[in-house]
Amino acid sequence: MRWVLLLVLLAVTGCKKAADSKDTPKARAVGLVTDIGGRGDQSFNDSALRGLEAWAAGSTFKGGGYEPLTPKARAATVPAELRATVKPVPVRPLVVQSKVQEDYQPNLQLVVDQGASLVIGVGFALENAVETVAKQNPDARFLLIDSPVLDAKGTPLKLPNVRTVVFEEHEGSFLAGALAGLVAKDTVGFVGGMEIPLITKFEAGFKAGVLTTNPKARVLVQYTGSFDNVQHGKQAGADLVNKGAEVVFHAAGSDGSGVIQAVKEARASGKAVFAIGVDSDQSHLAPEAVLTSMVKRVDLAVWQAVFDLDRQAFSAGDVVMGLAEGGVTLAPVTLDFPGKAEALTRVEALRAAVVSGAVVVPSTLDALKTFTPPASQGGG
Amino acid sequence: MPETASPSRANVVLRSALPSVLAIVTSLVICFVAVALLRGGVAVAVDAFLAMTWGAIGDVPKLVDGASIAVLLRPWGESATKAALLTLTGLSVAVAFRVGLFNIGAQGQLMVGALAAAVVGAGLELPPFVHVPLCLVAAGAAGALYALGPAILKLRRGVHEVISTIMLNWVAVSLVENWLVPGPLRAQVGGGNSVAGTAQIHESAELPRLVGEVSRLNAGIVLAVGAALVLWLWLSRFVGGYEWRAVGLGPEAARAAGIDVSGAVVRAMVTSGALAGLAGAVLVLGTEQRYPATLGAPYGFDGIAMALIGNGHPLGVLATSVLFGGLRAGGTRMQLFGVHKSFPELIQGLALLLVAARLIWIRLVDRLAPPRGGGP
Repeated sequence: MRWVLLLVLLAVTGCKKAADSKDTPKARAVGLVTDIGGRGDQSFNDSALRGLEAWAAGSTFKGGGYEPLTPKARAATVPAELRATVKPVPVRPLVVQSKVQEDYQPNLQLVVDQGASLVIGVGFALENAVETVAKQNPDARFLLIDSPVLDAKGTPLKLPNVRTVVFEEHEGSFLAGALAGLVAKDTVGFVGGMEIPLITKFEAGFKAGVLTTNPKARVLVQYTGSFDNVQHGKQAGADLVNKGAEVVFHAAGSDGSGVIQAVKEARASGKAVFAIGVDSDQSHLAPEAVLTSMVKRVDLAVWQAVFDLDRQAFSAGDVVMGLAEGGVTLAPVTLDFPGKAEALTRVEALRAAVVSGAVVVPSTLDALKTFTPPASQGGG
Repeated sequence: MPETASPSRANVVLRSALPSVLAIVTSLVICFVAVALLRGGVAVAVDAFLAMTWGAIGDVPKLVDGASIAVLLRPWGESATKAALLTLTGLSVAVAFRVGLFNIGAQGQLMVGALAAAVVGAGLELPPFVHVPLCLVAAGAAGALYALGPAILKLRRGVHEVISTIMLNWVAVSLVENWLVPGPLRAQVGGGNSVAGTAQIHESAELPRLVGEVSRLNAGIVLAVGAALVLWLWLSRFVGGYEWRAVGLGPEAARAAGIDVSGAVVRAMVTSGALAGLAGAVLVLGTEQRYPATLGAPYGFDGIAMALIGNGHPLGVLATSVLFGGLRAGGTRMQLFGVHKSFPELIQGLALLLVAARLIWIRLVDRLAPPRGGGP
């Protein structure tokens, strides 16, 4: 056992002081519990973490602790149009990642016990856990992302200490569809993951958008039946491209990177096709093939809640974030295509029409049937 | 038994348990040193390990400070839940070991068991004292049936059970998580809301909570401890259990002695599958209340570690599982000190590695305390 002693001695002498890494105890703590995707998922959880750690707390997580970001580095994480509004908030992040489903509830309870003023549950998988823990800790405040609180039968339920945020994905998809209709001549495609209300919402908005800018275009639709199978996505994407789709929009989680791969390969073989990504700006997956992405601003929703908390304005209730609130948007279009300037002007006009309420985007396929596209105002 | 003299009973127990204990202690020490080196000193490591301890056995300092009893009961609930799952899958693997089979398929058996429990729990409306047992029986039967296939293939066609059970794990993933749960068995909810997983089970099917709503401590741990005790008695006191052990030590010798080898193999494998299926039921009826979109942790594979570290003995498996269940439940808290979320699994993996080096420990023990009567 002598070598163990030696190692312990090494540890004592060879390490920096523990006190250095302690944060200032004054800042109030904001807890965040990820779903099993966790830190580094390049999507939902990372977006939420960005909202709390970088935008609000102005820090970055490195080697098991937080390091402050320079104002410039912090600003670089905020998209240009939000830089003026998204201000730093003096908070201390308290992040706990979930290894497995059954850890959601104890993890939420843990950050409550640590004295967090606000506890954020990322993703609709945490719905049950947030409901239980919020009921057991009526004095703590919670933010649930991407789902209302539901009872056992699935009917929405209000709790006095929970704010929930859902996104109007159909509004963002509407703009994606409008752009796709302007880029494509006669055929566009949509790849969905599972055929559930959350995803048909994307389909309805997208179809409405295409109908608005290119009423004659066909919309080919395919569902992969999964969210975690790149091969399924690739197959569906290749299928739609072979049937003549010129722009393919996906709302299929990880399957979607397969869709983008298929489009990328089709481009390499000389076809003029584009993909439209989802959730976060996916242009890094294939810069030459991804036209834009329908972005869900989870980071903004998180920052907003933290900001409200800081100025004593945090309120419970169900928040819906659409185009008007900046909850959904299109990522900047960097690729070139014929008639780009006019197309972007038209899309911006449609965004303004949705924001002002002049256009109501259908959120279900039933509502789509009665949707009358707004007349084009002398578009090019 | 190779020992020439007959050492005392305590000595036998000690010698079979000591390698595991030493392996666990060593892995804890190594991990402690690693945290101290990587996360800024011994003080941090002490804090992190204390946080893990309080997370496992209850926050004693807070209780002393006057917090409510909940700070004790909640961690107990989490540790017990994990311990129950690990015990049942660990016993599943250990039983198969005893007849000389390596059941890698506990994960698949757990999944079909969990699904069976979720379906019976949500599909029927019965009084609790019938509903819970019925769900457990359904889960056990599903797991048992799923393990029966490999046993029959082994006996009839000589298909190695490692191959068939591994492959059946993937069949279970495809069948349950890629088709049934997101497809035909998906929860139907009104409006535009989406819910992941199957329909929520009825309250009558939930495993009874032992100390009320304040903690998730439920009857699952009672079931697991009961299973370990029954299995221990069966293997050590009953003819049937003796036959299983004989088959495991030498099937040819067992056959020559007139033991029904095929029957023993089938019965043990079915028991193994049923135990893994029960683990699935504990997960669904105890904490999840539905089959979730995907089953998080690979408890079936953890069962292999529990069986090996527990030296294949039901009580050894129970002790190992209680320890690692606690470490895992408490380990979450180490994240507050910058330790990675998978740290408890790291300790477990290291302990497994060190247990595999059993011979080294035995030799060490021999040198420190030579076996009485057998000395050179």
